Amino acid sequence: MHALANPARFLKIARPLTPILTLGGAGLATVGAWAGLTQTPADYLQGDSVRILYVHVPAAWLGMGGWMGLAIACLTQIVWRHPLAGIAARAIAVPGMVFAGLCLATGSIWGRPTWGTWWEWDGRMTSMLVLFFLYAGFIALARASDGQDGAAEGGGISRVTAIFGLVGAVNVPIINRSVVWWNSLHQGPSITLRGSSIAPEILWPLALTALGFTLLFAGIVLMRMRAILAGAKVEARMRRMAAA
Amino acid sequence: MNAWPFIAAAYGLTGAATAALVGWCWSAMRRAERAAEALRRR
Amino acid sequence: MKAKHQRLVLALVAVGAMSGSALLAMSALGDRAAYFQAPSDVARTGIEPGRAIRLGGMVDRGSISRGGDGVSIRFTVSDGGGRVPVRFTGITPDLFREGSGMVAEGRFGSDGVFVADTILAKHDERYMPPGMNTDVTSGSASPGTTTVAR
Repeated sequence: MHALANPARFLKIARPLTPILTLGGAGLATVGAWAGLTQTPADYLQGDSVRILYVHVPAAWLGMGGWMGLAIACLTQIVWRHPLAGIAARAIAVPGMVFAGLCLATGSIWGRPTWGTWWEWDGRMTSMLVLFFLYAGFIALARASDGQDGAAEGGGISRVTAIFGLVGAVNVPIINRSVVWWNSLHQGPSITLRGSSIAPEILWPLALTALGFTLLFAGIVLMRMRAILAGAKVEARMRRMAAA
Repeated sequence: MNAWPFIAAAYGLTGAATAALVGWCWSAMRRAERAAEALRRR
Repeated sequence: MKAKHQRLVLALVAVGAMSGSALLAMSALGDRAAYFQAPSDVARTGIEPGRAIRLGGMVDRGSISRGGDGVSIRFTVSDGGGRVPVRFTGITPDLFREGSGMVAEGRFGSDGVFVADTILAKHDERYMPPGMNTDVTSGSASPGTTTVAR
């Protein structure tokens, strides 16, 4: 658990890992996107618009999965007071918000040629928009409480921010179940524990883009964590110099 | 309805946003680490 | 008990309580969070003419008939538990087809026909190449019956 507690030890692993994850993820996502644009058949009903799937689904997964990671980091911060947990939560928030926004935007672009509308207030879309605003709230709260209590020193987050991150996780299963609980314009889940209702010849590039964007996301989180750690180091030194 | 403008918009937006995010995070990280390094050497 | 364990138990209890209350709230929200009403809901609850609602269901095969003006259509919508005749004047989305899902905004006339102001197409969770009209689900799920997700 505390093997990575030491920021120096974390940096030793994070430094070489950052370019590997970023470049590997970008490469996989590019190959997946190319395959999704050129190598797969069109859908029997939707035609070519089905290709938006290959960017929309990874964005949705990272928007929701990002908050789950953020919530786990917040829990780790609250319970174990792990020095890197708050930094990790703060580092996840920005890319999480970007991917949640991309999910909404690509979904809207997909909705116009298929459903005939850019936006409708159905359960899935509304709960995803709530997630986007939760990210914005988390980022604002983390900034506002900077340096207000002990945990916020060294680039971490305050306890209130951590509790907010934990509470916000309630929304993720609601997004996931929204199309099952309520009548919605958005279709039901395609990939479940019982199998996939997406034909294999349409499905396979999604595996590439989903994995690619996930690695890229991890690379971005490491970059953000390194930036926060370095910033905190500078600040601590400045404070010591000012005191001396 | 021709789907390709919509597909191009979705892919273009995703690519641009991801590239901007990576570029911004990378440069912010480099700037912060360089500042920390410079201060340590002083 | 160590402080760390105390915090863990407290956090887990809080998470459990939050999930429980969220679940309760969602089930209390029930049908009011539904985006549309299916023909069987309409048959069960009886919606008075003139009230604006969204009606969702499958367009019955062979039911679409076009009016002489070229933009008026009539069709019936069903969900296995009811059937509703619909009238609409305007342009429908490309994916609006017989045997496929749709959601219409509008109101019932006094003659029991649903007059739609707008029509949206709803597709199901199946994605497959053309000409492959077999069930691609590799499990017991039967997509044909779940097209209108309930």
